[in-house]
Amino acid sequence: MKILSKIKLLALAAATSSVLMPVTIHAEHHASNKGMDVPRIGSMVVMSGLENPWDMAFTKDGSMFYTEKCKGLSVKTSSGAINPLYGMKDSKGYPAAGSDLFCSGQAGMLGVTLDPDFDNNRTLYLYSTSSKYHGSGCKTNFEKCDGNIVMKFKVSKDLTKVSGRTDIVKDIQYKPFESNQPFGGPGAHNGGRMAFGPDGYLYVGTGDRHRGICPQDNSLLCGVVLRIDGNGKGHPDNKVKGDSRIYTYGHRNVQGISFRPSDGQVFTAEHGPWHNDEITKLVSGGNGGWDPAEKIAGRGACPDQYCGYEPNQMEGMVPAVRAAYTPMSDTRFEDLMPPAWNNNGYSQGTGSAAFLKGSNWGIYEGRLATGIMGIGFGGTPGGMRIDIVDLTQDGMAVKSVIHMPVGVSKRFRGLEMGPDNALYAATDEGEIYKISAMK
Amino acid sequence: MMFKFWFSLFLFCFLSQTYAADPIAGETRYKKTCVNCHGPAGKGAASYPKISGNDIAYTTEKLETYRAGKKIGPNSGLMIMMAKSLTDEEISNLAAYLKDAKYNVND
Repeated sequence: MKILSKIKLLALAAATSSVLMPVTIHAEHHASNKGMDVPRIGSMVVMSGLENPWDMAFTKDGSMFYTEKCKGLSVKTSSGAINPLYGMKDSKGYPAAGSDLFCSGQAGMLGVTLDPDFDNNRTLYLYSTSSKYHGSGCKTNFEKCDGNIVMKFKVSKDLTKVSGRTDIVKDIQYKPFESNQPFGGPGAHNGGRMAFGPDGYLYVGTGDRHRGICPQDNSLLCGVVLRIDGNGKGHPDNKVKGDSRIYTYGHRNVQGISFRPSDGQVFTAEHGPWHNDEITKLVSGGNGGWDPAEKIAGRGACPDQYCGYEPNQMEGMVPAVRAAYTPMSDTRFEDLMPPAWNNNGYSQGTGSAAFLKGSNWGIYEGRLATGIMGIGFGGTPGGMRIDIVDLTQDGMAVKSVIHMPVGVSKRFRGLEMGPDNALYAATDEGEIYKISAMK
Repeated sequence: MMFKFWFSLFLFCFLSQTYAADPIAGETRYKKTCVNCHGPAGKGAASYPKISGNDIAYTTEKLETYRAGKKIGPNSGLMIMMAKSLTDEEISNLAAYLKDAKYNVND
């Protein structure tokens, strides 16, 4: 049976080889109960040797745009050609580049997504770290630092160049300097995932950038999810008091955003501190409940005014103690959006999410695939997997969580559904996998 | 004279056995925790640096420095925590493994 499943997978790979050139193939035979409609799942590498691939976006015909955090934006066309499009400062081999774009730590060129009407308007959106709007800020870690932007481009019909860069968001916050934290480098908690909702608006995930006041201060774009139009203007129904572009606030580091196909409900997958990861159903104006500010909620002063790893941040300790001190979802907030799922006291680096689409996924169709990277501190088991999460209809809980039998264990950074109903996964190790399901 | 010879031989064998680094054991130890951040075969991943291909002395010195609780970079807090429990033998084995570790996409 296993051999048969491999043969079928190879046949599928051969059938799609004009689109994607497989480098290696793994196959996993999951269950074999036709009555339960459990699909066979297999994976193969479609690109390798990349430098920190972070996100992908697909055209309807299967061309794949992808970002590399410290290099830039490229596209692999449906015919297999690879076209570099827009590089970062000092990147080589790109026909155009942004001299203001740079990478540092977790920051760099991150999210990419296409306009819902891309076929007609050729518009692409790109999230990156930039020095262009630093202005008089960014002198310390304790002040405004407009260091992340969302750009809009036109893509040529032959997919060989982008043009007409317009910066539609210029003030997403960035951490400019090292601080006294376990993950203390510049660029920390930099968010970066983007997705268009069924309402035609662009949702942008940001991070708290290690600034304690960020997630609960809605004059700053950090630790929030934006809901904006294609020109960067806030949705008229955004309910947060403060910046009109903010859809939800109180987040730690949003790197996973996906919309449930059955009802369009948006969910985030969020990388937690040492005591949690979360999946949350968002509601306009809602509060994710993350508040790492010092001298509040019973906390005293914290290192560099950030309590996100406290108490005793440089030592391993019982996660529940940390969870009580700085909860990921603090119940003192009346507008709290409680998580549908948390990671049982672990933080393993939940970093991306995509709802599985297509009947080929069998009973998994409509469930949320979640990419887990890996941390492994203080006795926490490493992550390096993809979970399949079955959310309840009301989005407030989960019915089950299973590990997807991908056949490899990697730091899964970015997940995106392709037009072929396969799941594509970018890994920090430098590959993009195609994960197929067959009945 | 004979005694000195045998004693020296014993000492040599004993010391060799005690301090000969074992890259296979190093790989096993690496996969226990280090791989979660630095990726397979120490190739580096995300903001965590590549740590393979360095001289044994270099890796040993870095791990011993972290184990001693000294800061030498922005993520020192993490490494100090991870290195605190390493034994001399584990450090030797890790350094030996990482010197020649090569990433394979199928790892």
